[in-house]
Amino acid sequence: MALWKKEWLALMRDRHGLAALFIMPAIFILVMSLALADTFSGQQETRLAYATLDLDDTPASRALDALLGDFELLNKSAPPSDEANARLSVRTGEMAFVIVIPHGFARQIGANQPPKLRFLIDPAVPGMVRSGFGKYVEAAVTRVWLTHVLEQLGQSMMRPELRQVMENIGSPEISIEPVGSSDDGAAIAVAPTSVQQNVPAWLIFSMFFVVIPISTVFIGERQSGTLQRLHAQRVSFGLVLAGKFLPFVLINQIQAVVMVAVGRWLVPLCGGEALTLPGGAAAIAALFTLSLAVSVAAVGWALFIASIVQSSEQATILGGVGNILMGAIGGIMVPRFVMPVAMQEWTRISPMSWALDGFHDVMLRQGGIADVLLTVCALICFGLAALAMSIFLNRRATST
Amino acid sequence: MIRIDNIRYRYHPGAPLALDGVSIDIARGSIHGLLGPNGAGKTTLISLLAGLISPREGSIAISGEPLGSWRAARPNAIALVPQDYAFYPMLTVVENLAFFAGVQGYSSQERQRQCAEALAFSRLESVADQRAEELSGGLRRRLNLAIGLTGEPEILLLDEPTVGVDPSSRRFLLESVRQLAATGRTVLYTSHYMEEVEAVCSDVSIINHGKVLLAGSIAEVKQGRTLEQVFMELTGYSLRN
Repeated sequence: MALWKKEWLALMRDRHGLAALFIMPAIFILVMSLALADTFSGQQETRLAYATLDLDDTPASRALDALLGDFELLNKSAPPSDEANARLSVRTGEMAFVIVIPHGFARQIGANQPPKLRFLIDPAVPGMVRSGFGKYVEAAVTRVWLTHVLEQLGQSMMRPELRQVMENIGSPEISIEPVGSSDDGAAIAVAPTSVQQNVPAWLIFSMFFVVIPISTVFIGERQSGTLQRLHAQRVSFGLVLAGKFLPFVLINQIQAVVMVAVGRWLVPLCGGEALTLPGGAAAIAALFTLSLAVSVAAVGWALFIASIVQSSEQATILGGVGNILMGAIGGIMVPRFVMPVAMQEWTRISPMSWALDGFHDVMLRQGGIADVLLTVCALICFGLAALAMSIFLNRRATST
Repeated sequence: MIRIDNIRYRYHPGAPLALDGVSIDIARGSIHGLLGPNGAGKTTLISLLAGLISPREGSIAISGEPLGSWRAARPNAIALVPQDYAFYPMLTVVENLAFFAGVQGYSSQERQRQCAEALAFSRLESVADQRAEELSGGLRRRLNLAIGLTGEPEILLLDEPTVGVDPSSRRFLLESVRQLAATGRTVLYTSHYMEEVEAVCSDVSIINHGKVLLAGSIAEVKQGRTLEQVFMELTGYSLRN
């Protein structure tokens, strides 16, 4: 009890430690949720601009121009007056693309020859956008071409049904059915929103940052002879570690509540989307169990680092950089689903990735405790292994 | 009576002996000075008595009982006051005292009593609610000593307790050590300051390279010389150097 109280008082008076544990992740959640909102939703407000330069000026080219007006990743701008202006607008970054519909476009369609188009492209446009837009233009040209073919066929066969078919040609309606642990498909998200990715991600990251305050106090205890004094008072090293364990697990749980509050209330206040949590006692119990398991892993890891370093500088480098690497590999900083497949496999080695998967199992896939049990066990085993290692290393050091 | 008998200790296999056949008798209620240069083996000897490390050869007995079993029956009977400020700078004086009393398993009431006594003994009442990091060097030394008094130990191991303090604080600390011995406590006192040892200790052991060169009462050791002269004769150099 005395150890817990001391640890709690020490932490409450460590302003830098508290800032690292609460303010840093809150800022990360706020900034990243707002910055990446469009990327996650796929509805970028600050879309790249494009325009068409219709040099053919025929009903077919105008039909294509009209069809190209609603590509969701790009904003259609007013057409440039000529090709020289089109090139200038791309070169200056004003336009990402200009699609040049050359003279003879309608003639090629009429002759059932593949029509030719030219794209003027800003080289800085991401490859994914470029290929996506290319496919979109292909589909639009196909539609114009097919419309022309059916029109010809309808006229030659005098069949009004074909005209009707022609009018109905369009994009297929695709319904998406998310599959999760719950039967309620409507409640299951297909992919995390920005805030659903960032709140658990930065919460996990900040929980692991207890390594800094734990090491700072621990190194101070060792360097000042306080640990020796405690040892001489028959306070075992295991008890010293246990004395740190509970207060920091408690701090981690407070972090969880604060970060959820930031996602739920602060992010929407700043214009972002509010964090929605699954309702029901089972989901809340699963989230709480996960949060406790992350704490065990984070505090165990922190105590291990504190046991092996000799100075605060080493703790900052080993603990801080270790956390950043675990976060980078574990899909905290870069969401796993945007990583290459080979890289996604590497994420499995990071406990932060296990934890994030667990949170997504509950938040996105409506999972309960049973669905995150394996993750919980893995995190607890990681924490206890780190703790056992720090006790072993200390015993070996003091037995000489 | 503490009987240290023929202790040999090395930190790693193959390392030089930190203590090489050390035998010292320390009388109950005495202040026993341990004099020696850095690396002489003083801290190793104190660590053995505090139970931080265990002897591989030789034995330590207190009142005829092996140190381990004597200590098991009286877990709070030996207190170590390290040379560094071994407390928590972000806690107040009274919080530090309460913490170190608390980890020894005392009840809240007993903790309060011990804290009050330690505060009074070390005259820290006026700064009881100040954080330790805000104290002057002399007050920190007093707090370091006061923490050692929680648990009311029978044996106090003081490792250079006056390093870095002003003359007034040094006088206060030395007087405190005398008072502790007067209440029946046994004090093992290491210092680089020979005049301190001469002024406060009843007995002294001069130790160098892990060996006891001379031990006895201050009068026996000095035999009309100063302690510094004796030390120079034995080791060939001054402790001040």
